[in-house]
Amino acid sequence: MKNIIVKANAGALTNFEVLDLLNSRGASKDTTRVIASETVSRSEYKVYDYLMETAASTQTRDSVTKFSDKCKGFKLAKAEILNIINLRPSSDVELTPILEKPDEREIDIEGILALVQELLPPLPTVEAHKENEQEETEDGEQPNMETSV
Amino acid sequence: MFCLSELEDTVRVPPSDLNLPLEVAIKKALQKLFLDKVLSIGLCVSIYGIKSIEGGFVLPGDGAATYKVVFRIVVFRPFVGEVIAAKFKESDSNGLRLTLGFFEDVYVPAPLIPTPNRCEPDPYNRNQMRWVWKYGDDEFIIDDSCQQIKFRVENISYPPVPTERAEDAKPFAPMVVTGTIDDDGLGPVSWWEACAPISDAED
Repeated sequence: MKNIIVKANAGALTNFEVLDLLNSRGASKDTTRVIASETVSRSEYKVYDYLMETAASTQTRDSVTKFSDKCKGFKLAKAEILNIINLRPSSDVELTPILEKPDEREIDIEGILALVQELLPPLPTVEAHKENEQEETEDGEQPNMETSV
Repeated sequence: MFCLSELEDTVRVPPSDLNLPLEVAIKKALQKLFLDKVLSIGLCVSIYGIKSIEGGFVLPGDGAATYKVVFRIVVFRPFVGEVIAAKFKESDSNGLRLTLGFFEDVYVPAPLIPTPNRCEPDPYNRNQMRWVWKYGDDEFIIDDSCQQIKFRVENISYPPVPTERAEDAKPFAPMVVTGTIDDDGLGPVSWWEACAPISDAED
């Protein structure tokens, strides 16, 4: 099968944009998934399930656009901004692996984290994991788990 | 980790679909051809949209109509240096294997697991090996109980289709992502929870 790739990279997409696309096609959390299966295939649903557990599931178009605009002041590469939007780091140790050589570039880590706090919605609460495995809780930290029936 | 790619291809719409509106029929044919398949640019996840359709000729001897279509697809292709959250799938003496649900061939080879570490046979699962990271006096196990494991992409490779394979070889993976968990903030998320996040925890 010969096909001609016109443009291998016609634009990067944040996880949010892909989730938005699947949502607009009718994907939903409904477990029976009968209604949307006309427009959303099983493999697309796997992507949907993955994205719903990431920061993308609580984001809005508005918050993502505002965030990437304000990021211009922080001298970040486009790939880094994309990565931050996808992961929504909430601490120094989560942000540093995303940045390339942060010390040499004098990046304002505190400033970026504050902007993330301000503009990007918090991560979705994780549902309780299977059987008897539970996330370890550190002293004083509340476990945030919801079981959905 | 996703991006758009523009492709142009000849698409064959089978006669049974010719009663459908043209765009629906072409989209159906495209999905069958590209969805969940690995191209040289990555794994095709979804058809984004059709830009133009030309043709519609019926070739001699064939009942189907053939169109030349320019369209865009959403491709999963992580870039080197990207940090991605994945789940544990299995581990063996060569390293870990992580999964994203829709993509299951993420490998973390042994040299990219933080040292000092050791590999021991898994007490719960006879065939598997378990990796344990030793940091100071504590030991951290990498296994199924880790909710999310973050890794950073080191390399993506597209192994060529093998012509001969042993009977019990692992299913062929057309796209393999190699990752590392040997850095601050990488590895199971639970390892880093003790570090104080800027508090937005609900109390």
